[in-house]
Amino acid sequence: MIKIEKRNDVPMALYFFTPFIAIILTILGGGIIFYILGFNPIEALKFYFITPISNLYGLSELLLKATPLCLIAIGLSFCFKSNNWNIGAEGQLTFGAIVGGGVALLFYNQEGFYILPLVILAGAIGGMIFALIPAVLKTYFNTNEILVSLMLVYVSKLLLDYLVVGPWSNPEGFNFPETRQFSDSSRMPLLFEGLRIHAGIFLALAAVMLSWFILYKTYLGFQIKVSGLSLKTAKYAGFKGKTMILVVFMISGACAGLAGVGEITGPIGQLHRMISPDYGFTAIIVAFLGRLNPFGIIFASMVVALTYLGAETAQIFLQIPKYTGQVFQGMILFFLLASDYLLFFKIKILSLKKNELRH
Amino acid sequence: MATDLRISNISKIYPGCVANDNVSLQFKSGKIYALLGENGAGKSTLVKILSGVISPDNGEVFLNEKNLKLSSPLDAKKNKIGMVFQHFNLFETLSVFENLSIDATEDNKSLRVRINEILKKYNFNIELDVPVLNLSAGQKQKVEIIRCLLRSPKVLIMDEPTSVLTEQETEELFISLKKFCDEGILIIYITHKLKEVLSLCDEVAVMRKGKVVSVSQTQNERVETLANKMVGQKLAKIKKKINISKNKDEIFKVKHLNFYSDDPFETNLVNLNFSVKKGECLGIAGISGNGQNELFQILSGEIITPDTSIIFRNKEIAKLNPKQRREYLMAFSPEDRISQAAVPELKIYENVALNNFKSSNFFEKGLVNERKIKEHSKKILSDFSVNTDNVELKSQFLSGGNLQKLILGRELITAPELLICYNPTWGLDVGAINYIHETLIKINGQEKSTILISTDTEELLKLSDRIAVIYKGKLSKIMPSEEVTPEKLGVLMGGGSID
Repeated sequence: MIKIEKRNDVPMALYFFTPFIAIILTILGGGIIFYILGFNPIEALKFYFITPISNLYGLSELLLKATPLCLIAIGLSFCFKSNNWNIGAEGQLTFGAIVGGGVALLFYNQEGFYILPLVILAGAIGGMIFALIPAVLKTYFNTNEILVSLMLVYVSKLLLDYLVVGPWSNPEGFNFPETRQFSDSSRMPLLFEGLRIHAGIFLALAAVMLSWFILYKTYLGFQIKVSGLSLKTAKYAGFKGKTMILVVFMISGACAGLAGVGEITGPIGQLHRMISPDYGFTAIIVAFLGRLNPFGIIFASMVVALTYLGAETAQIFLQIPKYTGQVFQGMILFFLLASDYLLFFKIKILSLKKNELRH
Repeated sequence: MATDLRISNISKIYPGCVANDNVSLQFKSGKIYALLGENGAGKSTLVKILSGVISPDNGEVFLNEKNLKLSSPLDAKKNKIGMVFQHFNLFETLSVFENLSIDATEDNKSLRVRINEILKKYNFNIELDVPVLNLSAGQKQKVEIIRCLLRSPKVLIMDEPTSVLTEQETEELFISLKKFCDEGILIIYITHKLKEVLSLCDEVAVMRKGKVVSVSQTQNERVETLANKMVGQKLAKIKKKINISKNKDEIFKVKHLNFYSDDPFETNLVNLNFSVKKGECLGIAGISGNGQNELFQILSGEIITPDTSIIFRNKEIAKLNPKQRREYLMAFSPEDRISQAAVPELKIYENVALNNFKSSNFFEKGLVNERKIKEHSKKILSDFSVNTDNVELKSQFLSGGNLQKLILGRELITAPELLICYNPTWGLDVGAINYIHETLIKINGQEKSTILISTDTEELLKLSDRIAVIYKGKLSKIMPSEEVTPEKLGVLMGGGSID
């Protein structure tokens, strides 16, 4: 007979160590999958995890992809820590990109130092407003934020579709579903000549520092922590629950909006249909792999960014679809949840003999 | 054929709590059996074991002398044990018929015929093709009962069936249950409502703290004898010295406290009016589930009710949240230590910071002042003799008694004018209980007032200056505690009236 019991004391060190176990298991699992597909697993894993970052360009690409993941996951950590399940970061990213992109398009033929800050600000506000929709509906109408935030993803994507084929499409663009190119003043400055890594990474780093400060050093952070552990206690302590829901959604939406605007003013340079390879969803994995800890999230965003890059190299060198990236992301989450389960519960196998004796 | 169900030496231990302690009972068909006990007495655990939802650590169940192995609900069904849970297990958007056909083994046509036979036989008035969400609670319960009847059960277990029913529906249910009983179905009726036991059941087993404390014929019982068995009243009367508070000012006054909830599992409160004088302890007795939870939350400000007036130290505070009420020097100690009053995963000093009153400066300009909080926590740990001086310790490592001392300390160190506590000694050992009782008596001596909501009559008689009883959301008249006897409390707690 198998019995599952909660462990009373889970060591903190082990709690932060299990993500590494999950990553190792994911790599092993990936090796097995490559072997079944008929590839030499060692070689395939090398193509997947080493080749992409074996040169400067690769490292720059890694950071480029880690930037939005990190930003969004930082925002999500505020929501998740306080028991608010914002699943719609992808939508907030998209809407942030729409609003930021709209401002950038207003200035498409102008130059000026003030344009980029305006665009970035607009993106953050856009994401914030979009995140407020599920938050307000949750606080005042008791709706489920998971459903509302998720469904709003499709609303924002369809809105983007409509804009880039309709009113905002490039008049000189031969009906391609895309807007004009932004002017140089709306573009993130590049950090190095010839590499795509841009100043958006500083936004992500600032978000990390700021979130660490808010979560661990302020009253708001304390309230978030308590609400996440026990809503009943938060109510008993008299925290303003509604205000807090609104605030964490706004922080989360602003971060996702920043990630969106970072993409369109960074590597993309215009609005089109495919501004994000589901960064908003993947960031959920990043947030949990990083244990909702700001510095853990930096590390996790790079690991997950590598699965995006690895998928692309694997597509080129091994001719396997780049969707293997999602397989790896899925495996990370799966192994993380599985090792968490073993971390928080112990499985006891009771001897059958004892049972039989009783009967 | 007669049915004979025997439970032998059943034990079930959860971490930190013995849910069933060596329970043995015997039931025979042709009678309705009541299983009576307060919330947490172990009734539900026993029922879950009988229905195969959980397995006991020890002990056996025999049906007609056959040893049953109940390792899943399916086993219970196979052995003709039917169960109607307090919370319905129905798909709201499916029709009644679809709900009933989900786990049926026959084709729809014959199933419909059989259901219609049952409806006719027991005079149930239910449309089969309407979605379940359109049914009343009583009708939903009937659907659950039909589901059991379709399997021609030998045993039918009803878990707190009337908690969501109206009076009318309750009467109908009783008529049906008596019919089933006459047809030879063995009925086990789980409840904490005394009057129902007396009007419906033939035999009653009372459980307390996981043990069966008495088995008797209901004809030999009265409401108050059952109430006393349920709460475990010892007749020893230890009374504290009565405060001479006759001419003191009223410090706290509640008028027109009404609470109406759509949730059938909450109790509505009907026009509660009371006041507390300076230095006085007002006790509120009652069997749990009669509105104490709701009352505590309204007094603490977790629930704000319209039209209620709460005057505290000459100020109207009915619209204030708990944090604001604390600023006016109120303090609260809820019943649920582990998931409400404190968070086990937080460190001691973090739990102390939950009582963030203005002059504490725990959070200056929105920033955490860890040094202040820790200093303050150290003082609580030593003043209230909690057996650790490590404020960084996670609260889950404190015993129940020490955790309660920490919570009381956190609430009392601000020298509040009024402390509202709900079952402050629930589940604690004798040493901790004495310490907490002494503390509560001491603060009354310092001219501070307390409202003690408790299900422990002994505790109430020991600590209170005046006592009222809450029953079904209504408050009895408030009596000076020297006029109160355990017998009187028993009558009132069971819904009876005195003089």
